[in-house]
Amino acid sequence: MIQRSLALVAAALCLGATACGIQPATAQRGPGTIVIDTANYPSTLDPGKQYDTDTYSVYRNIFDQLLRRDPKTNKVVPWLATDWKQTEPTTWRFTMRRGVTFSDGSPLTAGDAAYSINRILDKDYGSQQYANFSVITKATAEGGDLVVRTKVPSPTLLSYLTTLSVVPEAYVRRVGDKQFAVKPVGSGAYTLQEATSGSEVVLRANPRWWGPRTQIRTAVFRSVPNVASRVADLQSRRADLATGLTPDAADQIRRDKNLAIRSTPTERVAYLAFNTIKGGPSNDPRVRRAISEAIDYRALIANLQRGYAKPINSLVTPLAFGYDTSRPGYRHDPAHAKQLLREADAAGAKLVMATSPSFDPQIVQAIQADLSAVGLRVEIRNSDQATYLKKVQDPSRDWGSIRFGRWSCSCLDADGVLYPLFHTGEIWSSYSSRDFDRIVQQGRETTDPERRKALYRQAFDVLARDLPGVGLFQTYAIYGANTRLRWTPDAVESLFLDQMKVS
Amino acid sequence: MAAIAISARRRVRALPAGPRYLAGRLGQAVLALFGVTTIVFFALRLSGDPARLLVPEGASAADIERVREQLGLTDPLWRQYLSFLGGAVHGDLGFSYVQNRPATELIAERLPYTANLAVAALLLSIVFGVTVGVVTALKRGRWQERALMPVVLVGQAMPAFWTGLLLILVFSVGLRWLPSTGYDGPLSLLLPSVTLASLSAAAIARVTRGSVLEQLSRDYVRTARAKGAGTGRIVLRHLARNSAIPVLTVAGLELANLLGGAVVTEVIFAWPGLGQLTIQSVSARDFPVVQAIVVFASAVYIGINLLTDLLYGVIDRRVTVGGAA
Repeated sequence: MIQRSLALVAAALCLGATACGIQPATAQRGPGTIVIDTANYPSTLDPGKQYDTDTYSVYRNIFDQLLRRDPKTNKVVPWLATDWKQTEPTTWRFTMRRGVTFSDGSPLTAGDAAYSINRILDKDYGSQQYANFSVITKATAEGGDLVVRTKVPSPTLLSYLTTLSVVPEAYVRRVGDKQFAVKPVGSGAYTLQEATSGSEVVLRANPRWWGPRTQIRTAVFRSVPNVASRVADLQSRRADLATGLTPDAADQIRRDKNLAIRSTPTERVAYLAFNTIKGGPSNDPRVRRAISEAIDYRALIANLQRGYAKPINSLVTPLAFGYDTSRPGYRHDPAHAKQLLREADAAGAKLVMATSPSFDPQIVQAIQADLSAVGLRVEIRNSDQATYLKKVQDPSRDWGSIRFGRWSCSCLDADGVLYPLFHTGEIWSSYSSRDFDRIVQQGRETTDPERRKALYRQAFDVLARDLPGVGLFQTYAIYGANTRLRWTPDAVESLFLDQMKVS
Repeated sequence: MAAIAISARRRVRALPAGPRYLAGRLGQAVLALFGVTTIVFFALRLSGDPARLLVPEGASAADIERVREQLGLTDPLWRQYLSFLGGAVHGDLGFSYVQNRPATELIAERLPYTANLAVAALLLSIVFGVTVGVVTALKRGRWQERALMPVVLVGQAMPAFWTGLLLILVFSVGLRWLPSTGYDGPLSLLLPSVTLASLSAAAIARVTRGSVLEQLSRDYVRTARAKGAGTGRIVLRHLARNSAIPVLTVAGLELANLLGGAVVTEVIFAWPGLGQLTIQSVSARDFPVVQAIVVFASAVYIGINLLTDLLYGVIDRRVTVGGAA
């Protein structure tokens, strides 16, 4: 019997051991290696497909973009394109950098750049980034230059081209889209070394890269979905950099002298949007004004964001083109809010606040408390993100009265915020104003910067009058880093390894 | 008692033993699989639209419609269902909307991690649970019981996200003995498997205790004692086999649960298993992947249940599967 029990234990251990046959990742950790914890595993390594922050973080190091933003000034600067000019209102010509090769040795040409754009526009390819490039009709290579034609004059074209990664046409055609996503070949500062699905991606410095010598030899991107676990990874020195931290996590990091918080204001705006069409009480502009005056903006920034936010005066951040610094900020005046509610005969009215777990529940509850302090009853209806989107974006507009959200267009432009949020008929908009529609439509088809600024000043006037939404604050991106890492984050939350150094 | 209980269960379906019984069980399994996937197929499509989650924030209604068309979501529901069934029969469970790769391939990549964790956690919880169960039964009412039971209960009462973080804080951040997250070899397995085992050990301990207590009052135990057999001999020779069936049942169910992926534990420890894949696919409404996971998890559940039933006969020869006891 004892023999048999022993055999059983041995068999069980064997089973355990066989199961342990899975490959340990992270084998190599030299001095030039850094480990970066992000929340999600990249959805794909094909830069024409998905484009979310964690996916960008990885593949934008494997590929070069047509243009880049200066991390300090946020100005669009040369990258693969060294120069550009608008030859006609709807035609742009880009001079391509010479001597750039992909990691397989083939030269990068204007043809590759044009292919990278046309591929995203191709319906059969099914790019999720299509909406970002849909203003483009066609891209072609003409005499060594890249020529991009748009449907209407587009002031935001260059912005979106900073997100365009250039892929090698010949290689992609040869291996096909699926294989390309598994074995991507780019011209970027890093190449793919290995990927363990759902767990980590290892990048290695590309010796053929045309840019300045990079200091990081190897970078391991790990997907660690839980914030507290990312913090523990920093504390246990398992990771050198962790993205997407919360303000409370930042407090924990600061207690460790070998760790530091790296944070920066981003173009992400926290906002409230009202249902002005089927919102019940919120159909009345006086109620919307009362709500805007009931909110204690400073308390939100100081207590919940713990200072990782800045007050704003409209629905865009000061980083966005079109922000008007001369506007007065939002007022916190609960007494006046109560009076407005009495005038609107809405004292004690019930509002439904639609939200999802993607939006900080603490902020949603703080807003509920602020509103109940002036006599509004707020019922929070929480549903998962997919259900929330279905409800809020339904053309019936029957989703409640008020919602909290965060918005970033990665374009640093008022157009990318105001148009989708408030133009009549857009999926997020529960507001309709002919004046506003006309102004923002002109805004997206005008390339003269001064004229555009004037247009957005008008748009903000309309929004201040009608109040279909309220800007709560500008959010900061919060990263935790080991002090051995030298790196400054930027406003569009990019994570370029060639800008990092370790000591 | 145990054997009688088993035979009572069997009497419900009075099938003759052997191949016919097996065929019947397999038929049931296929039916159950079909039912579960059908429910999941339609329930998923009621609750949200993957296209909305895939497009950029500023996308227009037309952009969303374009994505819906590409994903084949504009077809009538019945046609989508038929094409899903048609593929499933050939082992094709579709392509992930998000990752653009075959759903079965995604599962195959994640399965080794989940299996690894499940086996380790099960081993731990059986060793710990059975030991505690036997000791507390033998030392009923004494200090050993009073000391051990609370430990087990606390383990069970603490949710995985709490146990897991606590273990990370002590062993990774504080002592730096074990890796906090991810997979770096067998050491990485310890914290997540202890976290999972703390949940299932209690169930096993309580079933073991109950089963042993019941056997202890039996005549054969008294006879063995009267013959002068020591406690160790009684436990190993007499009690083990006789108390094993209920324990096996619970362990089988635990294993089936663990193989479906331990969502919370996998998220805390950044363990790239099926649990994480499940939660990501559900929240992205990645229909093909969710469906494939459901098919897989139900198949495992049904399979393990069948296997457990067959094992009864191996352990206790009085149980003849399907026949009268």
